[in-house]
Amino acid sequence: MDDIWTSNLNETVDNIKNNDNIYNTGKVIKVNDYNIEVTGLNDVSFYEEVNIDDKASGYVFGIYADRVIVALVKINSEIKPGDMVYALRKEFKCLFSLDSIGKVIDVFGNDLIAGKKFDNLVELSVENKPLPIMDRGLVKREMLTGITGIDLIYPIGKGQRQLIIGDKKTGKTQICLDTIVNQKNKNVLCIYVAIGKTKKEVKDIYYELTRRGAASYTIIIASFHDELPTRTYLTPYVALSIAESFMLQTYDVLVCLDDLKKHADIYRQISLASKKTPGRDAYPSDIFYAHSRLLEKGCQHKNGGSITILPIVETKAGDITDYISTNIISICDGQIVLSEKNFTKGEKPAIDYGLSVSRLGGNVQDDEMKKVGSKVRIDLLSYLDVRQIYELANTDEMSEDLQKRLREGKMMIDCLKQYKFSPKTKQEMINSFNFLVDEKK
Amino acid sequence: MVVGKIISIFDISVEVILSDESVKIGDILALEDNYDYSFEVVSINNVSATCISLGTTRGLKKGSEVVKLSEGIQIEYSDNVLGRVFNSYGDLIDNKEFSSINKRTINHDTVSLKNVDVTADILWTGIKVIDFFAPLQKGFRMGLLGGAGVGKTVLIKELIHNVYSSINAHAVFVGAGERSREGKELYEEMKESNLLDKMSMVFGQMGDNPVSRSKSVYSGLTLAEYLRDEKKQDVLLFIDNIYRFIQAKSEIATELKQLLIENGYPADMANEISKIEERISSTEDGSITSFQAIYIPADDYNDEAVQTITSYMDGQIVLDRKIAELGLYPAIDVFKSTSKLVDVEKIGERHFKLIEEVLRYLTRYNELEEIIAILGIEELSEEDKSIFYRSRKLRYYFSQPMFVAEPYTNIPGQFVKIEDILIDVENILNGSYDNVDESKFLFIGKYHE
Repeated sequence: MDDIWTSNLNETVDNIKNNDNIYNTGKVIKVNDYNIEVTGLNDVSFYEEVNIDDKASGYVFGIYADRVIVALVKINSEIKPGDMVYALRKEFKCLFSLDSIGKVIDVFGNDLIAGKKFDNLVELSVENKPLPIMDRGLVKREMLTGITGIDLIYPIGKGQRQLIIGDKKTGKTQICLDTIVNQKNKNVLCIYVAIGKTKKEVKDIYYELTRRGAASYTIIIASFHDELPTRTYLTPYVALSIAESFMLQTYDVLVCLDDLKKHADIYRQISLASKKTPGRDAYPSDIFYAHSRLLEKGCQHKNGGSITILPIVETKAGDITDYISTNIISICDGQIVLSEKNFTKGEKPAIDYGLSVSRLGGNVQDDEMKKVGSKVRIDLLSYLDVRQIYELANTDEMSEDLQKRLREGKMMIDCLKQYKFSPKTKQEMINSFNFLVDEKK
Repeated sequence: MVVGKIISIFDISVEVILSDESVKIGDILALEDNYDYSFEVVSINNVSATCISLGTTRGLKKGSEVVKLSEGIQIEYSDNVLGRVFNSYGDLIDNKEFSSINKRTINHDTVSLKNVDVTADILWTGIKVIDFFAPLQKGFRMGLLGGAGVGKTVLIKELIHNVYSSINAHAVFVGAGERSREGKELYEEMKESNLLDKMSMVFGQMGDNPVSRSKSVYSGLTLAEYLRDEKKQDVLLFIDNIYRFIQAKSEIATELKQLLIENGYPADMANEISKIEERISSTEDGSITSFQAIYIPADDYNDEAVQTITSYMDGQIVLDRKIAELGLYPAIDVFKSTSKLVDVEKIGERHFKLIEEVLRYLTRYNELEEIIAILGIEELSEEDKSIFYRSRKLRYYFSQPMFVAEPYTNIPGQFVKIEDILIDVENILNGSYDNVDESKFLFIGKYHE
């Protein structure tokens, strides 16, 4: 015991000698919406944590020769010019507790449902360096969603980033929830990240997952529009940082980001407020990087752990070619496109099989699934193409071949319909397409 | 020796008060006790230097002293580069031992007009659409354009497979701002098929900061120049993706508070592109044939950056989302895909006439599709009907199973000779295959026996 005392004492004495016990201080000179300008803080570091009296906290976001910009993440009471600012001599970090599983949390270690802070908190970096290329493994293992249209035709692998994109009310979140529920007893930790969703929606999701027994392996991280935008902006990075710490301990983690369009909009808001020159559609030039470095966290690690990411993007009028959507499509390893037309026709899940893609495809499937899946995909796409042309034609005058294609096409569409929370096993999926193989014989 | 002190810090830029006059633009500075924090000088005045950070700036302290590390980013310039993987700054990242013989900075002059060589042989790729619509010769710069997720990377990989593996050339692969997963996959595939010994790779992927993403291209070029100038080889250069280079430059320009042109591109974009593309030329020592993927942002083909890059290309292959939607891969837009070789004198009358005829058919087909949507197929004249059916066969015929896509699609890849393509196309056009069902042409190699 004495040893510890002496070493602690020595350290404190050293600190006093080096002036390290004194917080670097400064004064607020200007207060903006989500950041403040400060003089003083002479030898502050970039990204250092900062307190403004007891009124607010934030981190160093820019250092000029004569002043420092501090981005605010928490405001308790109004900040005024002249307030004292303390730099805390440590990197800005978020807080996380292992008790978070089954709870709705924020990035500062609060249990939002219980309305209190966790006890056993650990600090986590908001963002770590990108994983070296050589530490990555190949994406080969399946991540089953229980949805035929995905598992069979556009499969997802552990470590894949598969975008879910579509208009409002086309079932985007539902696909994430289905996937999470389907991970029961499969040793996958799930993290659902709500970015700018309403509080009602988040609570619904919480109850839904709890009711279906998925809470025991799921963390919900939420951030709302009535909070500081900086906080919402940081939330997905923190979520991936949490996921990364689990992956490094060889866990398989599934992260759903709902949704990145809102995240892009919030980042645009922050950038414009800090007077950065806007680029296309007024988004900042580094909007691609903001998402690419986030989604590159998704990977298969060579140690066996993995992070699978299902980001969601909301579109308008079914247009997946707008700036943000194409950016994210170009980062991800594929996309599930949901179409409003299919949704209203009752073809649920409303997957647009023409526009959806999986870049890993058969690589993550077993042989049987691959065989059936690739046949169904080719036949289905050619049916969807033919269907348009022969919509007005007389069936009787068609060739035998063509009639068969049209008939099989209709059956395929029926086999792909599936209610929410009614997952199918691989064998069930394969069996339902037996007719394709049988007829060929 | 300490050359200055950091006085301001942002995401990727820092400002240094200089205490030494010897610092020049392009120099690499670093913290004295921690080389992880290093910077490249981009502009200078009599008291201070503006620098961009090669790594992160997080944790960097105001007032830190910096030393001069080197005269610029350097990469190995010797036979040691073969079979190796570098990051954008010339450091090895494949975890293997390395003893450097000779290093060289990555900024270098372009090839002068006097030395540019333009004559060469045709290079067949075995990919039907490319060889038929946009054939290329050694020394060409080929652009592969496409929006997000229409198959650029698969096509680049197929070209590596068909061209690099079949001709005995040296190659350099530059991963600029693309997926790390794909970089690792390519490395593993090359290693597994024992093709790594003649290839070097440079990666500055999309998770890295914009400085790294833009420097990867210069580093890769330096390796290609080594193979051309010192080893006197015909070199294949694959860049995936050159658009990301400009994108990274825009991010840096914004950070440096430069004035930007429309859509946030840097004002000196044409200049930057030219400095890259003019280095990719053939000389009498050897040739560099380059395949450059070009991302089309927001599916906007008329994007300023895309147009600037394509003006340096000798040929272009444009991928189209509408065709990808039909599941026809490679999803090439035949109307926009062409090359400088499409000329009666270069590819011969037969091939040239066939291209014209196929394009005439497919143009009519597009018009007919609209008519059919309203009237139905039975209302067409006999001639239009045959154009319609034959065009559909052509469209299916130009799809092709790819070697690199075999694990995904379960269909073995096919290498098709140009002679076979010409015969098949001729036969479809003259009606010899009118009785064959169109689905027989989907995902095949050659059709005729």
